[in-house]
Amino acid sequence: MSIEDRSEYLVETRNLIKRFGDVIALRNVNFRVGYNEVVGLVGDNGAGKSTLVKTITGTYAPDGGEIWIKGRRFKRITPKIAKALGVEIVHQERTIAENQPIWRNIFMGRELTNSLGFLKIREMEEATMKLIKEMGFKSEIIYPGKLARTLSGGYKQGVQIARALYFKADLVILDEPTIQLSLSEVNRVLEFVKDLKKRGKSCVFITHNIYHVYPVADRFAIMDRGRIVAEFWKSDLSIEDLSNILVTIARTGTIPVEYREINLVSRPLEYASS
Amino acid sequence: MGRISDAFSLVWYRYRIQVAVFVLFLALWALFFALNPFAFTRPFTYTSLMSTMPFTIVPALSLTYVIICAEIDLSFPSVMAWASWVLATSWTHFGPNLLGVILALLAGLVAGFLNGLLVTKARIPSMIATLGTLFFWRGVVMVCSQGFGIPLFMYRDALLFKLLVGRIGGFFPAQMIWTIVLAIILWVFLNRHKFGAHVYFTGDNRTAAQMMGINTDKILIGVFMIHGVVSAFAGILATLEVATFWPSLGEAYLMKSIAAVVVGGTSIFGGSGTIFGTFFGGLTLGLIELGLLAAGVAGFWINLVYGVVITVALMIQVLIRETEIKREAREILSKELPSPKS
Repeated sequence: MSIEDRSEYLVETRNLIKRFGDVIALRNVNFRVGYNEVVGLVGDNGAGKSTLVKTITGTYAPDGGEIWIKGRRFKRITPKIAKALGVEIVHQERTIAENQPIWRNIFMGRELTNSLGFLKIREMEEATMKLIKEMGFKSEIIYPGKLARTLSGGYKQGVQIARALYFKADLVILDEPTIQLSLSEVNRVLEFVKDLKKRGKSCVFITHNIYHVYPVADRFAIMDRGRIVAEFWKSDLSIEDLSNILVTIARTGTIPVEYREINLVSRPLEYASS
Repeated sequence: MGRISDAFSLVWYRYRIQVAVFVLFLALWALFFALNPFAFTRPFTYTSLMSTMPFTIVPALSLTYVIICAEIDLSFPSVMAWASWVLATSWTHFGPNLLGVILALLAGLVAGFLNGLLVTKARIPSMIATLGTLFFWRGVVMVCSQGFGIPLFMYRDALLFKLLVGRIGGFFPAQMIWTIVLAIILWVFLNRHKFGAHVYFTGDNRTAAQMMGINTDKILIGVFMIHGVVSAFAGILATLEVATFWPSLGEAYLMKSIAAVVVGGTSIFGGSGTIFGTFFGGLTLGLIELGLLAAGVAGFWINLVYGVVITVALMIQVLIRETEIKREAREILSKELPSPKS
């Protein structure tokens, strides 16, 4: 088998192209997510971050290129296949029904039922309680029957992450999870991301605020105008470097010369074996 | 303290609207009883209440589904008449058998399906779409019946007739049994079945429901079809109770049924509501009508009182929603911020 026929990553895209009419949203994007890795996908508004993950999870059909998930190649993918392969997305638009209890929100659209379609309420409540405990929600004030609208923003993100976990996600994609959150709420979301990593899961964390993603990411992929222009290990960069690079990219469209050595784009990723 | 009072407050919080509706019903009953003890100690009063209220409550039960979906159906009074005409015509031709009932229910199903298509596929706001079908089905009934009523009293002794609207033991109206059975079935599907769960999601956050893979169009069409069938059933009961089809049947129930739903605490904003509330909301309205008449208020006042009741119920809904949102925001804030040093 040649290298073209394999993918050693959890998720990989090769020359992914997506057009919306005349606008090219993704230009030959090669994006990689390894096993048990947190990738910070950063870039300005309109760089194509959301389009990329929506293409990977099947919301959009690509116009060219390949998507590889767990070594399987797809020309296009449906949301169902993506979920079946353990790729879950937490959308930027909150997928929370405010007047419903937490347990109903966790199982939204994928309720546990018997063969006649009747709900297994007790099972769902117990599973929810277990998730709440495991994820370190303050369990004295948060219980499965609590209405979602009484939760703060960080916990609402937590409910969506819990949903992904319950359905055995290996990769949880968080699309701008910290947008419109207060400082303490952002920290709560970061704790959830660290917890994902501890459980051996992978995570793609999309944001345009590098201060939110820097503490939790292992690697950064920087998008600009539909391209991934740079990828770095966190160990090679300080947060000032990252900020410097982003500013330069926004201004000139290229990365500063002194960082080209450590740019990982079109190089294989060598994970530190531990 | 702690555990027990916590559990109690949790149960109270979850069922407070149902409790409020039920208490309102009992309070009104006590009030009217005090005003006219004579009328309210006679069994006849209750027979009369239970024989007429099903026509308001039955369509209100399925209308609860529609309103939980954050939609509305104004066309059901005409659908009731349409189903009624189908039943009367079938019975006149083929005798008082199940065929007529099935055809009438199918007529309601078709009307509901049409509403569903208009709302989901033609993307007309349900308020407008069903206003259109309200006139359309009334027009169909008028054209088909040429404005004439159809007598059905010769079938009074048929078994089916008695099963649907007879008097059990000579005083208990069979239609009340049907109403209770229907309420239980609709309650089970709303609260214990996947379909009901999706109904709540469709009304609560439609975009989220779609992103989570729920086909909200299918749910909406289903809900409108259920409402069509149930309205048709109400039309059948209303026709048989007076043993006559008449072309303006159903017109009286439009506001009453909507009132039953909102008085029962179902949110007009969608996403929350209960069958229990609608059931007792409907009974409360019937009690108001009966009580006012028994207390000697002229019948002309009834509509005015309904108008006031609906408006007040809606005002209370908006008020509760606003205060709850404020209180929850305050609670969330107080939990997030470190408490001040003592």
